[in-house]
Amino acid sequence: MAMAAPGQLNVIESPSRGSRSVDCFEKLEQIGEGTYGQVYMAREIETGEIVALKKIRMDNEREGFPITAIREIKILKKLHHENVIKLKEIVTSPGPEKDDQGRPDGNKYKGGIYMVFEYMDHDLTGLADRPGMRFTVPQIKCYMRQLLTGLHYCHVNQVLHRDIKGSNLLIDNEGNLKLADFGLARSFSNEHNANLTNRVITLWYRPPELLLGTTRYGPAVDMWSVGCIFAELLHGKPIFPGKDEPEQLNKIFELCGAPDEVNWPGVQKTPWYNQFKPTRPMKRRLRDVFRHFDRHALELLEKMLTLDPAQRIPAKDALDAEYFWTDPLPCDPKSLPKYESSHEFQTKKKRQQQRQNEENAKRLKMQHPQQHTRLPPIQQGGQHAQMRQGPSHSIHGSQAAVAAGPSHHYGKPRGPSGGPGRYPPGGNPSGGYNHPNRGGQTGGAGYGSGPYPPQGRGAPYGSSGMPAGPGGPRGGGGSGYGVGAPNYPQGGPPYGGSAAGRGSNMGGNRNQQYGWQQ
Amino acid sequence: MAANFWTSSHYKHLLDQEDVDMVNPLDKEKGVTLEDFKLIKMHMSNYILKLAQQVKVRQRVVATAVTYMRRVYTRKSMTDYDPRLVAPTCLYLASKAEESTVQARLLVFYIKKLYADDKYRYEIKDILEMEMKILEALDYYLVVFHPYRSLSGFLQDAGLNDLSMTQLTWGLVNDTYKMDLILVHPPHLIALACIYIASVLREKDTTVWYEELRVDMNVIKNISMEILDFYESNRMFTDERINAALHKL
Repeated sequence: MAMAAPGQLNVIESPSRGSRSVDCFEKLEQIGEGTYGQVYMAREIETGEIVALKKIRMDNEREGFPITAIREIKILKKLHHENVIKLKEIVTSPGPEKDDQGRPDGNKYKGGIYMVFEYMDHDLTGLADRPGMRFTVPQIKCYMRQLLTGLHYCHVNQVLHRDIKGSNLLIDNEGNLKLADFGLARSFSNEHNANLTNRVITLWYRPPELLLGTTRYGPAVDMWSVGCIFAELLHGKPIFPGKDEPEQLNKIFELCGAPDEVNWPGVQKTPWYNQFKPTRPMKRRLRDVFRHFDRHALELLEKMLTLDPAQRIPAKDALDAEYFWTDPLPCDPKSLPKYESSHEFQTKKKRQQQRQNEENAKRLKMQHPQQHTRLPPIQQGGQHAQMRQGPSHSIHGSQAAVAAGPSHHYGKPRGPSGGPGRYPPGGNPSGGYNHPNRGGQTGGAGYGSGPYPPQGRGAPYGSSGMPAGPGGPRGGGGSGYGVGAPNYPQGGPPYGGSAAGRGSNMGGNRNQQYGWQQ
Repeated sequence: MAANFWTSSHYKHLLDQEDVDMVNPLDKEKGVTLEDFKLIKMHMSNYILKLAQQVKVRQRVVATAVTYMRRVYTRKSMTDYDPRLVAPTCLYLASKAEESTVQARLLVFYIKKLYADDKYRYEIKDILEMEMKILEALDYYLVVFHPYRSLSGFLQDAGLNDLSMTQLTWGLVNDTYKMDLILVHPPHLIALACIYIASVLREKDTTVWYEELRVDMNVIKNISMEILDFYESNRMFTDERINAALHKL
């Protein structure tokens, strides 16, 4: 048993009430990092149980215990559901921190509070980004159903999660999916009279009503994020990777059509409507762009990615959707394969390492670094990963090899929490697209020049030199999504990759290579 | 925070009266009696209310803060946790937990304004440090259910939601926080007791309505008696007695 250092109180020995010391745990490995604090995998010394320790950052808190942590604790203490992460306890660090920069004096609690969670092996983003990873249809249905079940439970208990995204969806090796990171969550009342901040939800998953400045909103904001994740699972990569708010809205309008008083009564009264209203008419092309999706999947996605939050499908109704009740049915979580632990934080780290290796290899004029030995789908997976990674890299590059990829579930960049989140503003995404390991071509050509012949449509996601102004970030093909199919295969959907199609996967034909065909 | 009370930590942590009335041994040594203990807690509830009126927060924040304070003293001694610091800190913490954040410096400012006595004088860092200790003492359970929510529902259901009854019952509920009722009874029963008292005072016949509710009327009546007893003895709670009690610490 850990004993307190001489001269310090031994918190463990204090009577039943009060928190235990973090010394009851042995930190094993960092699995997450964010402005909120680090997350560690740790072992409880007494029981040997593996847990996740999320540090509550206390420095720079002039107002004491952070209200975000209070919200999270309050909410987690009342939510008890198999699809919601379980907060086991809160532990404090007795005396000054030993593993930190050492601040000997001052508040003894500074930097020394941890939330103890059950340990989960993966997060959805980390899992999806595993090289060569492909989810099956029953697997996607299984995850989606668990996500919706957990979210429905939150909404019934009047909690908005407000940061639904892949890295906050934890998955264990039993196939269970749990919602995590309630640091942005809030309770809401049905009266809806509270003004809430619209600076929430990681940009790519943020619904149009928040982007338009609404401060009175409800559970529908989470359902938009679910729709984004759903589409991402089927499509193979994020569908709205905007780099700032205007671009984000533009991407949404391009796919979902421009909002007007017909499809979204009241939209013109949203605070920033006039500022962001589309400059040209845009039709809803979701059905067209994703026409290759399974019929029921598309039907459900349509209802999730509905512009008007009042018409967006609630979690409860989504669970009743045909999609979950038609063949192939969602599988039993326990039947899912077990994977070696993967968290976005770690997979990012690995990729960073790999990139480093490849850079080195390139310098040595080796034309075929390891990724090239992979089969096409895997290759695409790699590419996909970069796509997703693109913007983040720009920062990490500057941090050199610190390998502090933000955005792991338990703790992730909170800073501009509403802001672009893990995808810093201004980070030029093209960097990611032209990455050297993308088939060994050197930069410059955007990903249009990947191993696949360019489709002659210009880079769909505003690669370098393509300003993201409203209306025309998309080059040739006109309206971005207009190019529909050809736009996407370039991105290389990892799940629906070409060769070696699995089950419903239509392999081979690259113009139809995304997602699940039936 | 709304959720199901019956599954909440609040419900699971309801205490027996005798556990609430346990004077901490450390305090006992200093001669603090049960009467003193209750007086000090009442005084601190008033302190929280006064402070809250200065910084302008909702009644709900006051109720939560008082509940925190009372919960703390079921586990900690007043010797170790000076009520004069615990009270404002509970308000500080409750303001965060109830989403009506009040800055610590503002509290410190009004503390000085309210009490010239040096014993009440605490600085921001004291509040922040005590906040952590209170969080620990509360075992981080921060959700509190209050009678206010059920009160308006009940009044409406009973057809008693006129202004006079609403104000009277609301005031009664406010006063219950000068006691430990919130630690012992489910909030909806406290609300029903307040309605019971009000209906007797205003001569409204609620017998049938209470029968239809199928609640244990004995419990309601007992809570009502407790409240009435408190009103009865309230005029004996003089400042001198309170100061004498505080002086023992």
